[in-house]
Amino acid sequence: MLEMNRRTFLKVTGTTAAAVAVAPKLVGAMETELGGKDIDPVGAGERVGIPVTCHVCNIQDGAIAYVQDGRIVKLEGNPEHVSTRGRLCAKGNSGMWYTYDPDRITYPLKRVGARGEGKWKRITWDEALKEVAGKLDEAIKEDPNSVFLKYGRNRTGGAIDRFMHTLGSDSILNHTSVCESSKKVGLEPTWGPDIETPDFAHAKYILNFGSNILEAAYFHNPLSQRVMEGTVENKAKLVTFDVRLSNTAGRSDEWIPVFPATDGAIALAMGNVILSNDLQDSDFINTWTNVTVDELKAHYKQYTPEWASKLSGVPVETIERIAREFATTKPATLFTYRGPAKHLYGSYNEKACMMLPIMTGNIEKRGGYCMPRGMGWPQPEPQPPKPAKHAFMNAHHHPDYPLASHGTSHMLPYHIANGDVKVKVYFTYQDNPVYTNPGAQATWGKMFRDEKLIPYYVSMSPFMGEETALADLILPDCPYLERWEPESMPNSLHPWLGIRQPVIKPLGESRENRIILRDIIHTLDPDGSRGMKKYWEFADGEDYMRHHFDNVPKLKEDGGLDFLKKHGVWPIYGKLDGTGKIVDKTGREIEAEYGLHMKELSADEMLGAIVDPTAGTITKNGEAIGVQRNGKNYVGFSTPDRRLNVRVDGWAKYGFNPMPTFKQIPWHKDMQDDEMILTTYKINVHKQSRTAAVKWLAEIMHSNPAWMNSETGKKIGVKTGDLVRVESKVGYVVTKAYVFEGIHPKVIAIPTGFGHWEYGRLANLKHKEKAGGEYGAADDADLNNVWWDDRGVHANAMIPNVVDPIGGSQGWYDTVVKVTKAGPEDKYGDVKGDWDKHMEAYKESLRYAYTGDLHRTMHPEMAAWGGPDSVNQEAAHQAAPAPEKAPEAEAAPAEGAEAAAKEAAH
Amino acid sequence: MSELLVSNIETRGVPGKRRFAMVIDLRRCIGCDACMTACKAEYDVPLGVFRTWVPYRVVGTYPNVRKQFMPRLCNHCDDPPCVRSCPVGATYKMEDGGFVLQRYERCIGCKACMASCPYNARFMLPKNRTYTDIHSVVDKCTFCHHRVMNNLAPACVQTCIGRSRIFGDLNDPNSEVSHLVNTLPTQVLRPEEGTKPHVFYIGLDRNTSEIGRGIYSAPEVLEEGRNAFGAVKI
Amino acid sequence: MGDYNVFHHIPWTGAYAIYFFTIGISAALFFFSARSWFASCSILEPIRKPAAYVSFVLLVISGLLLISDLSQPMRFLNTMNPFYMNFNSPLAWGGLNLMSFGIVSALYVFMMWKGNDALAKKLGVVGAVLALGLPIYTGFDLTVHQNRPVWNTPLMPVLFVAMSLVSGAAVAIFLALNNASVTKHLRTYMFWSAAAVAVMLIALMGTTAYGGVGAELTFMSLTSGSLSFAFLWVGVILGTIIPIALLLTPVGTNHVGTLAAAALILVGGFALRYSILIGGQVVQSYF
Ligand SMILES: Nc1nc2c(c(=O)[nH]1)N[C@H]1C(S)=C(S)[C@@H](COP(=O)(O)OP(=O)(O)OC[C@H]3O[C@@H](n4cnc5c(=O)[nH]c(N)nc54)[C@H](O)[C@@H]3O)O[C@H]1N2
Ligand SMILES: Nc1nc2c(c(=O)[nH]1)N[C@H]1C(S)=C(S)[C@@H](COP(=O)(O)OP(=O)(O)OC[C@H]3O[C@@H](n4cnc5c(=O)[nH]c(N)nc54)[C@H](O)[C@@H]3O)O[C@H]1N2
Ligand code: SF4
Ligand code: SF4
Ligand code: SF4
Ligand code: SF4
Ligand code: SF4
Ligand SMILES: [Mo]
Repeated sequence: MLEMNRRTFLKVTGTTAAAVAVAPKLVGAMETELGGKDIDPVGAGERVGIPVTCHVCNIQDGAIAYVQDGRIVKLEGNPEHVSTRGRLCAKGNSGMWYTYDPDRITYPLKRVGARGEGKWKRITWDEALKEVAGKLDEAIKEDPNSVFLKYGRNRTGGAIDRFMHTLGSDSILNHTSVCESSKKVGLEPTWGPDIETPDFAHAKYILNFGSNILEAAYFHNPLSQRVMEGTVENKAKLVTFDVRLSNTAGRSDEWIPVFPATDGAIALAMGNVILSNDLQDSDFINTWTNVTVDELKAHYKQYTPEWASKLSGVPVETIERIAREFATTKPATLFTYRGPAKHLYGSYNEKACMMLPIMTGNIEKRGGYCMPRGMGWPQPEPQPPKPAKHAFMNAHHHPDYPLASHGTSHMLPYHIANGDVKVKVYFTYQDNPVYTNPGAQATWGKMFRDEKLIPYYVSMSPFMGEETALADLILPDCPYLERWEPESMPNSLHPWLGIRQPVIKPLGESRENRIILRDIIHTLDPDGSRGMKKYWEFADGEDYMRHHFDNVPKLKEDGGLDFLKKHGVWPIYGKLDGTGKIVDKTGREIEAEYGLHMKELSADEMLGAIVDPTAGTITKNGEAIGVQRNGKNYVGFSTPDRRLNVRVDGWAKYGFNPMPTFKQIPWHKDMQDDEMILTTYKINVHKQSRTAAVKWLAEIMHSNPAWMNSETGKKIGVKTGDLVRVESKVGYVVTKAYVFEGIHPKVIAIPTGFGHWEYGRLANLKHKEKAGGEYGAADDADLNNVWWDDRGVHANAMIPNVVDPIGGSQGWYDTVVKVTKAGPEDKYGDVKGDWDKHMEAYKESLRYAYTGDLHRTMHPEMAAWGGPDSVNQEAAHQAAPAPEKAPEAEAAPAEGAEAAAKEAAH
Repeated sequence: MSELLVSNIETRGVPGKRRFAMVIDLRRCIGCDACMTACKAEYDVPLGVFRTWVPYRVVGTYPNVRKQFMPRLCNHCDDPPCVRSCPVGATYKMEDGGFVLQRYERCIGCKACMASCPYNARFMLPKNRTYTDIHSVVDKCTFCHHRVMNNLAPACVQTCIGRSRIFGDLNDPNSEVSHLVNTLPTQVLRPEEGTKPHVFYIGLDRNTSEIGRGIYSAPEVLEEGRNAFGAVKI
Repeated sequence: MGDYNVFHHIPWTGAYAIYFFTIGISAALFFFSARSWFASCSILEPIRKPAAYVSFVLLVISGLLLISDLSQPMRFLNTMNPFYMNFNSPLAWGGLNLMSFGIVSALYVFMMWKGNDALAKKLGVVGAVLALGLPIYTGFDLTVHQNRPVWNTPLMPVLFVAMSLVSGAAVAIFLALNNASVTKHLRTYMFWSAAAVAVMLIALMGTTAYGGVGAELTFMSLTSGSLSFAFLWVGVILGTIIPIALLLTPVGTNHVGTLAAAALILVGGFALRYSILIGGQVVQSYF
C-alpha cells in the first residue's frame, strides 16, 4: 500500500511539473482530463471507447460508448464534440439500457390470438420478410398509397423515404404535429429555418417563453451548458414565462406565471412598449425586414400592456419592465419551445415572440438570436423518383391545413375511420401514437384493434411499446447503439456532422432499420426486375454510410467515413479544456461566426443576377440568392425575398393575419370557476414513452402526481396525496395530487411518460409477475432490487384533438378540465377516453381550418379575404413542399443557413 | 495563536500531500441528475442505493417561488467518523489525496460506518447486481479514485451539464477548487459534526441543507415513497 | 415527487435491539453469579449456577445474533485479525471484550461444573469486570456517533449498565424460583437500577427535547411519532414507571407483585433499547 502511494505520488508530481512547464495555468480550469478514456473501477484495465451519437432523445449529442468484455458498460459525452463538449444528460448516461432491456425483442414475432392479446410466435426472418413482401405486393398493385408508414424519431437519414418511394407510396407520416410543429411554422415563413439558436453563453438578457431548456426542449444538454455559462459567468438575467415551475423556471432569475396560451399577447404588448418608447432598432427593421418601423408602430398600437395583462394575468408593470429590460440590455436573446406553440393558434404565439429579437436587432449577433447551423449529406445514387400520386395527407400536407408544412398526423385515425384514407399495410417506426397522441388507447388503440380499418400492421421496434403490442408482425430493429446512421443537429453555433455506428453486434437476430428495409425490398424484387432493387444495393449498414459520406467535400480529404468512425463527429474544432469549453491551439475558446445574413455575394455569384428595385432581392436563374442593402449584395435570409418577412403574405392568402397577432382560445374565454387548464409536460429524466423501462431513470422518477396550486387545493379541499378526478369533455383520469406553490392557480399539470400499460415489465411494474428475457434478451438480476410500486398515470386518453389551423399542431395545452376530489368508486390510475367524443372534438377542430365555418369569426380583421374558394385547392396541396434534405431532421436547417453553416465549418 | 487539534489522518494543508476536494456550485446546478446516472453506470450501482443523489426543495410562495438543488455524495471527510468506527479497517483514508475508500474483501457488514456517517453517504450493496461481482458489503462514493489516479475527472464531474461540480487538489494553490474556495464563500454540510467535509458548496442555503421541521408532517407523497422503499417514518 | 427524491434506510435495524437486550441480561446474570461467591452477597448462592448457565446460553445467542446480522457473517473472524484491528472503533474493543468474556465465561461454567470453586471464583471476578464492559461498550457504540440525537450523550454507557442490571435482575428473579430471600435481594437491585434508569430517561428526554432541530424531531418521534408507542408507552410508562410504582406499593413486595414488576421491566427494557436504537437514526434518514 505504502509503496504504491509513493509511486503514484511521484508519478503524479512528475506530470504536474511537466504540465506547468508546457502550458500556463488557466484560471478556473480543472486539472484533470474531462474524458476521452475510461478505466474499469474493479479491474483497473482501460476500456475500449467507440464514438456514437446519442439517441435516447432526439437532440443527438455526441457520445462515446465504452465496452468491456463485449458489454457496453458506460456512455459519456464525446469530448471532441463541439456541441456536447464531453457531457451527457441523465438519459444519455443510461442509454445502454435500451440495448440490455431484459424485455427487448430480439427476433421477429408474429401475432397469434387477437390483436393486443399478447400472444406471439417466434418466426424466422425469412418467414417474416415473405409475409410482409406478400402483403406489400397486394397493396401496391391496387394503390401504392395504401401502404402507410408513420415514424417518430426517424434518424435514418433518408432510408425511410427511399423505402416508401421505392414502393411508390406518398403515405409517409411523421409525428411532428404532436411535437412542436407550430413553432416551426411560426418561424419558417419569417426567416426560413425552423428553429433558432440562442447564443445563451454570450447573452446579457435571456427571455424564455415556455421552453424547459434545463430539462427538455431542443437542445437540453448543449443549451443548458450555455445557459449556465451565460447566467453565471456572463451574469445574464434569465426570465422564464411558464404556467408552472419547471426546473428552468425554478432556476430563473424571474419566473413569470402566465395563463395558458397567452404568451403571444404578452410578447405583442412588450413589442408595443418597445415601439412606443422608441427602444427598437430602427436601422435593423428598415434594412432587413419587409416592413418599416412606422408600419410596425402603427400595427402594434392595438396591443397595449393593459390588454395583455387582462388576458395573461401578468401585471402591466411586469410587462413594461421586462420589455424595457429586454430592449435596453445588449446583447439579448429569446427562446421558445412548446409552451407557446402547442395551442390552437400556436403559430401566432411563436411569431409574436420571435418579433422581440427582430425589432431589437438582436438577430445574428454574438449573444443574440441566431440562425441554426447544421450540415447536410448527400443521398446515395440512384434515388427512387417521388411517388406519382399525392396521398390524401402526409408528413407535409393535409387538404385543410395547407400551411402546416410539418403535417397534422394526429388527425389520421379520424380520416381512416371516415374513409378519407384507405390503409392496406401500416408500418410504425419509432412511433407510439397509442401512447403519445391525443386520445391514446381510446383513439389510436381502437383504430389499431380494428382489422377492417388496418388490415395489416407491422411494427419495426425492439420494444413492446403500446403500439407494437397491437401489431400483426414485429420486426426487431436495433436500439441506437447497434445502428449505422448519419447525423447533424443545429444544437450549437458550430455546425457538425456525426454518425451512429454499432458499438457491439446487434443482439440476437435484430437487424438495423436500413437493413430491414433493404431486405423487404430484396424479397419483393429478388432479381431486380421490378426496378426496386437498384435503389438498395448496399452490402451492409456501413456500406450504405459510405455512400453518404465518402464524397462530402473536405470531409473526404479528412478520411470520409473512416474519420467519423474514429472521432464520431466532423469537423473537430479544437480540444476540450479544463473549463469545459472547446478551445483552439492557442487555448482560446473557438468563436462562432455571426451575421450569416450579412455575408456578401462575390462578383462571380452576382454574374447574371437581377436585383429587384423595390425589395432589393437578388435573383439568379429564377432563384433568390441574396438581397441588396445600402449598395451591398448580401446573402440575406432564406425566405423568398431574402428579407425577414414580418408580414407573411402566404398567410393572408388563406385568411390568416399576415402580421403579428394574437387569438384568444375561444373555450378559454368563459371558463367556469371550477374549471382549469391541463398541461402535460416533460421532465428531466424521461423521454416520451420510451424511458419508462430504463431502470435508473424509472428509479429517479416513476410516478407523476398532478401539480396544483395551494390556493386551488384549498378551494377544492384537496391536499397532497389525495386522489383527484380530472375530467375533460372526452374522458377522465384519477390520480394523486401534489399541492404546492409552484403553479398557476388555474392550471393542473400532469407530466407525460408515466402510467404505461405495455412497454415491458419495468414500465408497467409487472417485473414480479414474470421473468425477463421473454423475447430472447438476457435478464437483469438488478430488477430484483426495484423498490417502488407506483407507475403513475397517463393523461392522453382525456386530451381531445385540437389543430392549429396554421401550424397543424395538436393543442396539447388547451384542455379545459374539471378537477374534483375523487369519489368512492374512483381508483388510482383509472383512465377513460371515449371514441365518439374524440370524434366530435376532431370535427370541432376542423371548424377552425381555413375551410371551416369559424375561421372568419376568428379573423374579423381579414374581412376582405375572398374565402376558401378564392384559393386554388390543388395549389394548396403544393404550397408546402417537402424539404429536400433530411426530411426527418426535426430541426434541420433551411438551405441558406445550411450553406452558410457549411462555409463556417472549415 | 494556538494550534487546532488536527487528527493524525488529516491531510488538508499538509505540505507535499495532495488533498482532493469537490466544489459544488449551486448557482450552476440545474438538477438534471446526469451525475446520478453517470455514477450508476461507472460502478454498476444497483437500484435502491446511490453514491450520489440530487435532492431538491421548492421554496417561496406563489408567484415568488424557486427550486433549489443540492447534489450529495460522500464528503471524503478529513476527519471521517466512518473510518474511526470500522472495527476491521475495511474503510480507510488514503494519505495521498484524502480519499476515503473501502476494502470490500475485508468488510464484515456490521454497518457501524453507516451509522456513524452523518451524511447517509454509505449503503449496503444488495445480493443482486447486474454484472459486478461485489455483494453484501458496504459501499459509497470513492471520489472516483481509479479515474483520478489516471488523471481523469470523476464521472459525475465529467458529465455535469451545469458544470456545477468541480474537482481538484485543494493543497495545490493553483487548482480550480483552490481558486473557488479561496475566492468565494463556501459552505459544507453539517459542519457542527466536526467531520471536516471536503465537498464545498457555493451558494448553499442552510435552510435547504438543514433537516426541516416539515418532515414531522411530511406530505403523503413523500411518505409513499418512503413506504415503497421500506424506510422508517418519523 | 415531494421535497426529496432519494430515501435512506436506517443502518442498524431492530435486530440490534434484541442483541442489546440479550447481551445486557447475560452480563448482569454473570455479575450476579460471580457476586454470590462473596460473603456480602452469599444470599445469591442459589442462583449462582442457573444464572451462569443462562448467562452463557444468552451469550451464545447474542454472539450468533451479532454474527448473523453481519452482511458477511463468515467474516466475523476478521474482527479478531490483529492486522485488521482498528482500536479507534468501539466495536473493535467490543469484539475483544465479547471474545474474552466468552472465553472466561466458558471456563467459569466449566470450572463450576467440575467443582473447582477456587478457580471459578477467580474467573468470576475477571468475568464480572468483563461483563460490566459489555453494556458499557454497547453504550459507547452509540455515544460515539456525534451526529445522532439520543445516542450522543455521555449518559449512554451508564444507562446501558443500569438497563443491563435491571433486566438482569428481572430475569434472575424468575431464576430464583420461589426463594423469598433471593427475590428480596434482587428486588432491591431491580428497584434501584430501575430508579436509575428512570432518572437517566428524564435527563435523556430533556437533552433531546432541547437539542436543536434534529434532536427535537427525534424527541417528537419518541413521544408523539412513530416510536411513541415503543418508547413512551411501553418503555417509559409501562416498563419503568409502573413497575417502580408497583415495587413501592405493598403489592410489589409480595411474590406475584415482584414477578409482575419483573415482567413489565423486561418488556420495557426491550422497548427502551429498541426505541433508543431506532430513534437515533430516524431523523437522519430524511437528510
Ligand atoms: N428530458 C427530456 N427532454 C426532451 C424530451 C423529453 O421527452 N424528455 N423530448 C424532446 C422533444 S421531442 C421535445 S418536442 C422537446 C420539448 O421541450 P419543451 O417544449 O421545453 O418541453 P414541454 O414539456 O413540451 O413544454 C415546455 C413547457 O411549456 C409549459 N407550458 C404549457 N403551456 C404553456 C403556455 O401556455 N405558456 C407557456 N409559456 N408555457 C407553457 C409547460 O409547463 C412546460 O414547462 O424536448 C426534447 N427534450
Ligand atoms: N400529453 C402529451 N403527449 C405528448 C407530448 C406532451 O407534451 N404531452 N409530447 C409529444 C411530443 S413532443 C412528441 S415528440 C411525441 C413523441 O411521440 P412518439 O414519436 O410516439 O415517441 P416515442 O414515445 O419516443 O416512441 C416510442 C416508440 O418507438 C419505438 N422505439 C423505441 N426505441 C426504438 C429503437 O431504438 N428502434 C426502433 N425501431 N423503435 C424504437 C418503441 O416501439 C416505442 O413504442 O409525444 C407527444 N406526446
Ligand atoms: S439530451 Fe440527453 S438523451 Fe438527449 S441526446 Fe443529449 S444526452 Fe442524449
Ligand atoms: S461523508 Fe460519511 S462516508 Fe464519507 S468520509 Fe464522511 S463520514 Fe465517511
Ligand atoms: S460495515 Fe464494513 S466498512 Fe462498515 S464498519 Fe463494518 S466492516 Fe467496516
Ligand atoms: S466522485 Fe465518482 S463515485 Fe463519487 S459520486 Fe461522483 S461519480 Fe460517483
Ligand atoms: S449533473 Fe451537475 S447540474 Fe446536473 S444535477 Fe448533477 S450537479 Fe447538478
Ligand atoms: Mo417532440
